[in-house]
Amino acid sequence: MIEVQGVSKTYNDGTSQAFDALKEVSFCVKKGEMVTLLGVSGSGKSTLLSLLAGLDRPSQGKIVVDGELISKLPDLHASRYRAKGVGIVFQHFNLLESLSVEENVMVPLIHAGISMETLQSRVSKSMELASITHKATQKVKALSGGEKQRCAIARALVHDPALILCDEPTANLDRANSLKFIEILQTLKGLGKTIVVATHDPLFENLSFVDRVIGMESGEIVQ
Amino acid sequence: MNEVLLSHEVMVYLLSESLLYGLLLLGFLVSLRLLKLWDFEAFTTQQFRLETQSYLLATILLFMIVIKLGLLPYFVYTLDTLSDIVPGAMCGAGVIKANSYGNPLLLVKSITLVLLGIWVTLHQLDLEKKNYPYFRIKTWFFVAIFVLLSVEYGLDIAYFTQIDIHKPVTCCSVIFGQVGGANALPFHLNTLQLLLLFYLSFVLLWVLIVSHKVVWSLFGVLLFAFFAYYSVVYFFGTYIYELPTHKCPFCMLQSHYYYVGYMVWGLLLGSVFVNVNRVVMQVFFHQSVETLQRLSWLLPLLFVLLCSLYVGVYYLKNGVFL
Repeated sequence: MIEVQGVSKTYNDGTSQAFDALKEVSFCVKKGEMVTLLGVSGSGKSTLLSLLAGLDRPSQGKIVVDGELISKLPDLHASRYRAKGVGIVFQHFNLLESLSVEENVMVPLIHAGISMETLQSRVSKSMELASITHKATQKVKALSGGEKQRCAIARALVHDPALILCDEPTANLDRANSLKFIEILQTLKGLGKTIVVATHDPLFENLSFVDRVIGMESGEIVQ
Repeated sequence: MNEVLLSHEVMVYLLSESLLYGLLLLGFLVSLRLLKLWDFEAFTTQQFRLETQSYLLATILLFMIVIKLGLLPYFVYTLDTLSDIVPGAMCGAGVIKANSYGNPLLLVKSITLVLLGIWVTLHQLDLEKKNYPYFRIKTWFFVAIFVLLSVEYGLDIAYFTQIDIHKPVTCCSVIFGQVGGANALPFHLNTLQLLLLFYLSFVLLWVLIVSHKVVWSLFGVLLFAFFAYYSVVYFFGTYIYELPTHKCPFCMLQSHYYYVGYMVWGLLLGSVFVNVNRVVMQVFFHQSVETLQRLSWLLPLLFVLLCSLYVGVYYLKNGVFL
């Protein structure tokens, strides 16, 4: 499913402030696996996730997701890849505060060219999976942190992506909401989704349904 | 200092062209570097940098092309304003003939715009694919266009610096009229024959486009443009001016005629531009671009309708033809 080969990422490349966020990182993730990238802040987890999501391009190396060469995708194709194949859950949710939960979840389907009926059914199914149906008509700004995160999960699932990427998903949640989130991840794994979670939350360290934990430090993988 | 160079319009025009040329030169140098080092199969830092630079290059070129597109009508407008200081000139027609660089400059400008349009289409096709299949060819194409753009810039400078405002030029009535007994219609045609050929060439172009005779439609559009030019100058123009003796391609660009010339010539140049572009894409790259396909018949149709409208409106208002 995911093949990362010798990937490096340098910010401010070619300047005196050049910073190596990733150094020759290589690993593979099989279809349906759940992998946790564990490491402290600044270890390169988020950079790696943004490369897997096609949000950024590496400075060198190869990233292949589901047979698609992500590291070289032109912008237009990177957008298509994100719109179809990837669901992303961000640390700060990145929701549209003035819209309702339902409307936020609908956003990825705006350009999908599907009928309103199919759209409604997908949105309902997605909100159900993320246990946020009861807040469907509520504006996002009125939600708690945990509810916002569940709304973000529903949005990430609505286009039925094969790959789900979560960047520090529990960093802004209390323990109870973090456990609820982990429960949802377990359900998604049961549905055959490939999941990569970047986190420094110790709650993810000994989860039974996690296939692999990849440790990261200073832009490198440490097992 | 030459009074022409002190004209606001000329200053703005030459400054804009100089800035654009500076950007183009930068783009040209980056292009050469890209062509030398590009290897899409490589996953090295250098190749990733080159790919980022190729985005920058494309952005510069697209920006330049948009400005250049606006600068062509501005160039014509500048010529028109110079008719106030060039003795004998009544409009841009006299000014463009003020020295031997004028007409070649206008021709080179039109050709570069058509070529830049082909570059834009090629670039769009390239972006639609995942592995930059047209990268090398579009970059080489830009390098070739750059040579022509350099010639154009040289002609720009030569033309504006060598307009002698003490030397009278001939006005449009002499250049295009029959004052000196000249009949500039091609093949000794009379106006009716010319008009007939104009409409026939339009029908032919349409038939060729609809029947997908790609290569022949290039011939069709050039034939159409040829007869269209003469028809506008020697027939339709007289209805725009509402004066049977006034034959000029430039005066219709003036405010007295609501700047309709920009639309007339814009549609004609657009027709050539789109059809040449469409043929190049289909013949050399086997790609059919839907927008070009639609515009290839729409622009000539709008051109013919606009020209014919002037004749029709004149007849309805006055009950006679000129």
